[in-house]
Amino acid sequence: MSAGQTSRQSPVLELHRLRKTFKVGRGPKARKVRAVDDVSLTLDKGTTLAVVGESGSGKTTLARLAMSLLPPDDGDILLNGRNLTGLSPRALARFRPSMQMVFQDPFDSLAPWHTAEQIVGSSLHLRRDLGPAERRRLVVEVLERVGLPQRFLSRYPHELSGGQAQRVGIARAIVTRPSLVVLDEPTSALDMSVQAQILALLHELQNEEQLSYLFISHDLAVVRYLADRTAVMRRGQMVEVGDTAKIFDRPENDYTRELVEASPRVTAAPAGRQPDRARADGVSHRVRKAL
Amino acid sequence: MMDSRSALLEMRDVSVTVRGAGGEVPVLREVALEVRRGELVGVVGETGAGKSFTARAVLGLLPHGARRISGSVVFDGTELDTPRAYANLRGTRMGFVPQNPRLSLDPVFTVGSQLVAVIRRGRRMSRTHARKRGVALLTGLGVHEPERVMRSYAHQLSGGLCQRVCIAIALANDPELVIADEPTTGLDVTVQRQILDLLRSQLVRDGRGGLLITHDLGVIATWCDRVAVMYAGRVVAIGPVADVLREGHPYAHGLKGIAVALEQGVEPVAIPGTVPTPGDQIEGCAFAPRCAVATDLCRADDPAPRPYGDQLVRCHHPVADAELPAVGHPTRSEEVEV
Repeated sequence: MSAGQTSRQSPVLELHRLRKTFKVGRGPKARKVRAVDDVSLTLDKGTTLAVVGESGSGKTTLARLAMSLLPPDDGDILLNGRNLTGLSPRALARFRPSMQMVFQDPFDSLAPWHTAEQIVGSSLHLRRDLGPAERRRLVVEVLERVGLPQRFLSRYPHELSGGQAQRVGIARAIVTRPSLVVLDEPTSALDMSVQAQILALLHELQNEEQLSYLFISHDLAVVRYLADRTAVMRRGQMVEVGDTAKIFDRPENDYTRELVEASPRVTAAPAGRQPDRARADGVSHRVRKAL
Repeated sequence: MMDSRSALLEMRDVSVTVRGAGGEVPVLREVALEVRRGELVGVVGETGAGKSFTARAVLGLLPHGARRISGSVVFDGTELDTPRAYANLRGTRMGFVPQNPRLSLDPVFTVGSQLVAVIRRGRRMSRTHARKRGVALLTGLGVHEPERVMRSYAHQLSGGLCQRVCIAIALANDPELVIADEPTTGLDVTVQRQILDLLRSQLVRDGRGGLLITHDLGVIATWCDRVAVMYAGRVVAIGPVADVLREGHPYAHGLKGIAVALEQGVEPVAIPGTVPTPGDQIEGCAFAPRCAVATDLCRADDPAPRPYGDQLVRCHHPVADAELPAVGHPTRSEEVEV
């Protein structure tokens, strides 16, 4: 029931018929690549929309357009109903705190010479109203929210594990209480056991803060867990969008089906081969003997 | 006795240390595994578990500062104990797909000339013929414009293409053993599938074999016959893939639980804590601090490998299939509908 109410609110993010073309190469070999070709999407408050696709499908370009880091050639970007298309960088600055991003590799995206406190605090530099004490309080609070106690404040990125570094990256993104968080492959650089911790954290933060995630990924397993809706991109075009469960269980598009089937699974029987029980049994006897 | 000949590769209790700030740091601790003819063995583990060191110990390509302090590597009945023993093995009878393809290719030669050089090292052949074979290899790996790729330098190619060039180099001389270190990391799932299908079909016939190093359990489940699970420099579980994933070592089960939960769209039960880094002080079982079923025994005594069904596990309290708690919580969509 509550889900019905939230979906009737105006969407956090609306992408309307976006286009972006890049020129590749020089001279006679120059050609145009349609990175994003007529894509429309909406993201409702408190939900997760995943954008999946292979490399070169345009999903990162779409993320950069959504963050107003790139101007679209055509189309509109609406954040909380407000059209951001064509605004000057100065005018956009006002909206920056409400759009934040979490990056793929936490070590690449955290300045190595800054402490966790400085990294997270840097997100608040547009908040002129905050004194140093108040700013510190917010930083301590948000680091605690992501599971890093106070002793982490003075740590540098190299003193953190991958999971801890990504927690700092998440803290930096949510400290401004953004309405839109773009997650660009936030767990693909992390170890399996740590990946689950970070996904659980993202889920928990979303429930508590009503965060809205635009989740860029090529890892379908992670998408299935985190995303309410999923959009599949291929060669700049959106080939299918819908509820995540439907996309996975009853894909309508051939390409979507191919993508779902190609992703290796622990649960599904291997598609390309039949397990050879007889040989596996013979093998095990040998292992025992060998050791 | 008879069937010991079927072992293509045997690692017997291989221990490797690297020189660190505080002395010698163990990175492999008594690693034992074997690859038989006709099988693809997976090695799975997280950062610092020793997967890449395992590959390099087999190939005799340990990085500077690392050395094998004990144990032996036997390839097709020959012990590989000196650099000389490796002569005429690597690149011909043993193929290696390195983890970072672009860094592994020489930046000042075209990738084609590197591929041709490897092909001609394995067999007497004219440059033109070797080039044709190179093109054929790349085509088989799903490269669309093999001629153009052959003429390119590594920096002009995408990561995926460099990856496929490295795989072509590894397969160039029909090696009996291929060691592939994360061969499909960074590749799209459809390409991954194509490459691993090809690698598997090439290796499981004619008595060849492969060692596939990955952090992806889905890859293991789909393409490998047996799997060695590594943790903190040790093989903690080894056996047929289905068995290892079903029951036995709590760490293997924890990882599988996470993978299954994500695949089903339910909340995974995270393994608390983080993986130990080489050099950490380890007492007893290395996994004990993160293990739900650990006891005082585990914290005091490092378990030796013992048979568990068809597996060998290093665990004092291996978990049986029936004892395992149900994985995960209700799905998100169920929560919303309530």
